[in-house]
Amino acid sequence: MTDPQLLQNYLFVASLLFGIGMLGFLSRRNMIVMFLSVEMMLQGVSVALAAFGWFHNNWQGQSLVIFIISVAACEAAISLALVMTLYHRSGSLDIAFWQSSREPGTQAYVDQALPPAEVHQREFPHLTPAGVEPRPSEQQTEYDSTHA
Amino acid sequence: MTLMILGIIAVALGLTLLLPPRGSFAQFLGAGFLIVGVFILAGFGANFVGLSLTNDQALFWSLAIVTIASAVCTVTSQNPVFSALWFGLSLLGTSGLFMFLGAQFLAVATVVVYAGAILVTFLFVLMLATPSGQAGYDRISWERLLSATTAAVLVGVLTSMLGRVQVESDRLDTAALEPVATARATEIDAPAHVAHLGRELFTTQLLTVQAAGVLLFVGLVGAAVIVAHGRQRDHRERRLAQAAARG
Repeated sequence: MTDPQLLQNYLFVASLLFGIGMLGFLSRRNMIVMFLSVEMMLQGVSVALAAFGWFHNNWQGQSLVIFIISVAACEAAISLALVMTLYHRSGSLDIAFWQSSREPGTQAYVDQALPPAEVHQREFPHLTPAGVEPRPSEQQTEYDSTHA
Repeated sequence: MTLMILGIIAVALGLTLLLPPRGSFAQFLGAGFLIVGVFILAGFGANFVGLSLTNDQALFWSLAIVTIASAVCTVTSQNPVFSALWFGLSLLGTSGLFMFLGAQFLAVATVVVYAGAILVTFLFVLMLATPSGQAGYDRISWERLLSATTAAVLVGVLTSMLGRVQVESDRLDTAALEPVATARATEIDAPAHVAHLGRELFTTQLLTVQAAGVLLFVGLVGAAVIVAHGRQRDHRERRLAQAAARG
């Protein structure tokens, strides 16, 4: 594989990553999955930058990727602080709760019918208790009434 | 041209069927459409030489397939914790792609910072903010067909531009690229790769590093302020509600 061919392959992978990230951001309703999609878009751009830097034997691509990594870390911190604040005020991670901030004139989105949830019948293993439970300390009996 | 449009349609249909809500049969159909569509687009935009692959081509394509498949699973998973885990696998694939280029520091930094810090922070927030059982908003998505078509058209346009690069690279002056390949052995592919990267960062790219430092500091302060301000407002509202209930 010659150099231009490998560069082309890398750019194909990077464009796929960016497209999939954009799809996730546009279509998902969970705030966490939306932010994961944003990070995936940044990953696509990083792969493209690193490939171009390698192709031209240049450090600029890798330097910008390092900058992108630090930007992504900042963005994750601030976005997660925002998500926690929104969760405290709304009680869910659903972004449709805040759709009153949409453009005036567009229709609101109302859930018509939700598909049924997958119910997993989880069989947790039953382990035989082994050994003797240690005697609780004096401090533990002060705050733990189940063992006293 | 029609084959390219067929590829775009196949990718769009595949992604539509994979996005939640997804039926147990529809997901296999969607995966099939997606694979066929990506193959068609790869025929246009990538150098896929068929099944006679050399070792390094096989390694590259395995890393690429792991990255793209786990990216699709991230975006289409109905459980946000599974989405985060698939994203971790996609990060490992990206790290492998960086290592394939010889970018050792980038590969390790991706794993340590992205998968080790950012992903763990996402999982902490999921732990604090997830409802019991499966939430309704995880099982439904906005405008499945439209967003899948948008993403497929974007990828198709980028791929067709790459395909045009392929056609014109036949006229490429490969002799002019020879010095780059040999110079790469002393710069990027040298054993002192990280030392050279450090030299470059702290001499030529010094302003980038300083800007990143300032940005990290401002982000830290901003995140703390957002949470503190929100908590202050909650306290104030609770006190107002208590006063209203009493008086």
